[in-house]
Amino acid sequence: MIGIKAGKKKNRLDMGILIAVFFLLLIGTLSVFSAQVAQEKVLRTHMLALPISAGFFLVLWSFNYQIFQDQWKIIYAFMLIILIAVLFFGVSDRGARSWFRLPFFSVQPAEFARIGLILVVANYLDKRRNRIGELKSFIGVWLLALPVFFLLMKQPDFSAVLTMLPIILIMLFCAGASIFHMAMFMIFILIVGILPVLWTIIDLNPHLLSSGFTRFFYSLSGFNWSVPVLWAGLILGAWLIWYLAGKMFLYFPLMNIVLFVAIIVSAHFSAIAVKKQIKSYQQKRIEAFLSPQTDPRGASYNILQAQIAIGSGGLFGKGLFSGSQSKLGFIPERHTDFILAVVGETFGFLGMFFLMGVYIFLMQRCLSIASMSWDGFGYFTACGIFAMFFVYFFINFGMLLGLFPVAGVPLPLISYGGSNLVATMGALGLLQSIYSRRYTLR
Amino acid sequence: MTYYSALYQNRINWLKIIIYLVATVFLVKIVNFQIFRYAYYSKIAERNKTQIIARNAPRGRIFSADKVMIAGNKPSFTLAYFPLDRENYPEPQKICVDISRYLDIPVSEVSEKIYSAIKRNVPVKIAAGLSSREMLKISELKTFYPGLNIISEAGRFYPMHNFLSHIVGYLGKINPKEWEYYKSRNYSMDAYVGKAGLEKRFEQELKGVDGGMYLEVDSKGRLIQVLESRKSLPGADIYLTIDSRIQKAAEDGLKESLSGEGAVVAVNPQNGKILAIADYPNFDPGRMLKGKVGGDTQEFNLAAQGSFPPGSVFKIVVSAAALELGSVDINRKFYCPGYFDAGARVFRCWKKEGHRRVAFYDGFAHSCDVYFYHVGLLAGPYNIEKFSKMFGLGRKTGVEIDNESKGNIFGPGARVKNKKYWFIGDTLNLSIGQGELLVTPMQMAQMISAVANGGKFWRPYYVEKVVDRNGRRVFSRSAHLQRKIRLKQSTWLHLRKALSEVVEKGTGRAAKISGAEVFGKTGTAQNPHGSDHAWFVSYAQVAGRPSEIAVAVLVAFGEHGASAAAPIARKVMEAALKEDLNRSVASGRRGASDRNKGR
Repeated sequence: MIGIKAGKKKNRLDMGILIAVFFLLLIGTLSVFSAQVAQEKVLRTHMLALPISAGFFLVLWSFNYQIFQDQWKIIYAFMLIILIAVLFFGVSDRGARSWFRLPFFSVQPAEFARIGLILVVANYLDKRRNRIGELKSFIGVWLLALPVFFLLMKQPDFSAVLTMLPIILIMLFCAGASIFHMAMFMIFILIVGILPVLWTIIDLNPHLLSSGFTRFFYSLSGFNWSVPVLWAGLILGAWLIWYLAGKMFLYFPLMNIVLFVAIIVSAHFSAIAVKKQIKSYQQKRIEAFLSPQTDPRGASYNILQAQIAIGSGGLFGKGLFSGSQSKLGFIPERHTDFILAVVGETFGFLGMFFLMGVYIFLMQRCLSIASMSWDGFGYFTACGIFAMFFVYFFINFGMLLGLFPVAGVPLPLISYGGSNLVATMGALGLLQSIYSRRYTLR
Repeated sequence: MTYYSALYQNRINWLKIIIYLVATVFLVKIVNFQIFRYAYYSKIAERNKTQIIARNAPRGRIFSADKVMIAGNKPSFTLAYFPLDRENYPEPQKICVDISRYLDIPVSEVSEKIYSAIKRNVPVKIAAGLSSREMLKISELKTFYPGLNIISEAGRFYPMHNFLSHIVGYLGKINPKEWEYYKSRNYSMDAYVGKAGLEKRFEQELKGVDGGMYLEVDSKGRLIQVLESRKSLPGADIYLTIDSRIQKAAEDGLKESLSGEGAVVAVNPQNGKILAIADYPNFDPGRMLKGKVGGDTQEFNLAAQGSFPPGSVFKIVVSAAALELGSVDINRKFYCPGYFDAGARVFRCWKKEGHRRVAFYDGFAHSCDVYFYHVGLLAGPYNIEKFSKMFGLGRKTGVEIDNESKGNIFGPGARVKNKKYWFIGDTLNLSIGQGELLVTPMQMAQMISAVANGGKFWRPYYVEKVVDRNGRRVFSRSAHLQRKIRLKQSTWLHLRKALSEVVEKGTGRAAKISGAEVFGKTGTAQNPHGSDHAWFVSYAQVAGRPSEIAVAVLVAFGEHGASAAAPIARKVMEAALKEDLNRSVASGRRGASDRNKGR
């Protein structure tokens, strides 16, 4: 199965990616040092992580990536085992039991599980390539990911789930999954995510109940008389639309209507379950998120300080070790989740522009490599790696620029963090492996 | 057959479009942050990391002519609170309670400051001007609460307490109205500004430039480093013409006087320099600074703002008029039976049994009222009014004291202006300085100076110069001759002889100084509201030298000029002439006195 044609010379290494990675690592390393947090430990870990990640890169590059398709069961099992093990043997950091403490450094298994999940999902998608449009395939992917999500939520590591969910979604998109299925899935997620928050707001502000609509809306948060009424109305309405559309010669499968109603109903059901699960401290968090002025030094303070850092960087930045915002600790988690703020303050707009350019180039290359891959597994894996970079890129920039709420997600190759760096470099090795065994006729 | 299909290519193309869309949105946002709002954010970042603790500049000092410091500065200790890391607060409420107990400030006041400090994450000053005892207590607290710090600043200090308080004035916390005026002049909202006297008049010269410590702090408000310690520039110093020894003599004299209320003005007749200007009761500006305003704080400056009937002191003017116009021969005697019958009413002499037959010198020396009734009638009320104007009554002397009173001129001219009649009794009242005539001690000092120097009216001044720290004069005053009255030489000589007789054998014997020639006139002004006011105006000189000291003493409710005011004048003149007197006494020990002088 080795896709190299004898006599045909082709380069085995995508130099573009290597150069991009070099620049990203350079910016990242300088920024981490410029942020000046706990110098010694960071220096040590970062300098240890760099050679290890280079080793991972080389190993995965030299391996034929198809091994991972053959051995997907082992990967899947290994993944679940380390995620279970971390629940028992891991150390707790800020309430999340997500680290293995080794003599010289700590390992975060979730970072490796992410790559593993990409491989497993890629294999699954490749196997069901021709039946990808079926609902069964769509659901199958999520069933495959469910144990992983469950174990991550057990830690709890919500941000890991937050990144993996869209990665799988993007992989499904690349595999040609039905847009309707994906839309249904996103509606489900949206309902489950938003309804409990809205109910909690009403819980916190009882005066909102004065209006009839909110009272009705709030009654949906439990199994009241209004719930079956609503569901019945929904089913009836959906059937009516389908029927009327049919009269106007607009046919769409009844199955889709059933699916739509089922999704809404089950999302509502799940939202009620989630609402019951919300604990008082979580309620407080929601409150803080909705009215930041009650906690001026809370989440909104963090994002504001990060924005001040970026804004004060200006066109050229303040230079290395001169960023007051990052140096003096105004930016929270400045070497990990908020590293972009440090980059913005240190290197200015030019630095940010360059970083973005390099990142976009990297993502482009991922997609190109996907399209020149030898087989389906390579294509899906490359798409997964692309999705990983894209999701990180999207969440990091979007959060920092105030487009959506704060989520603690690192920026690969820039943020400090050994496990993330090693996993990312491993993924890039995988990518190079796909590239070096590519299909050359196209 | 290849696995790759148009479907895949389509989806990959979509993803590429999404990448660029997302990147464009981000780029627009970044441009907005880093290019358009750069100035805004960099200002916030700068403010974030720096905190300023203002340090008051040492206020300019005030010196007397003999280089005695009347107002200065001494280090004052201020308790400041620096907010700490939120996690390791030892409950702020406890700090508040402890501080309030140690410093005797209400808890609410302390906690308001501390909580605002925590909320805004900036240091605050909790209490200023700590005493050494309070410092000791606080240093104990500091070990428990690391957020507390003691900063030393320059604090106003008046080493001589009540000394010259009416001229020095006092400082107080800036009020909203003053803040409106001072805010453009770099005053902080908790600044102290001059409220009266020199402190107010030269507020901006005295102020100097406040310094500050620019601290770099981290996100928790903890000090990282001192970025810049801007030194404060001290304010300009004021040098007065006041001589501390003369001033002291004047203040002590008033303090020991019968009523403890009055004013002394001592000027140099040769140039108008005020050598002493004492008012009693006075106040301690240092106490005003602490905001403890006692009941005894009399801000009213009797010397320039208070007007009183001059009484017999006015006989100097009446005599000058009569002598100048030749209305009365100085040898002409009038009989004083103790009263003067003006027909409708009988006017009394202050001495019931009368002075019998008196000529000018005796009449003047013993202040015989009947004699002056005659003189007044002969000279005429118009002339007396004219001469009293000539001697500066009814007009401001031009001394730089706020709200100086100009007194009240009394005479037929003034009456006519008020559309009232002038009676003969008014002339008699005017002749002895009673009636509606009102003068200030400052005017009296100027008047007696004019007699001493032959008619020169110098503008009285008490600020010699204001010198900033670079030695530059920002303000100075020198002798300024307002006007000169020209009288016959004989008039001056007779007048001086008469004044000398007063001290030698008349009512002013209490002012006699051995070794010096003293010229003076007592006055006892009738006061319908209580005891009479006692006056004494005088000047003194060492034989053969022009007079350099003229004094006007007013002891309100002092009853008799001879007994209440004259001794104070003597003390003041003695203090002024001390060096000259010493020299003449110890002329044999020239070397010794030279050394004294050198000191």
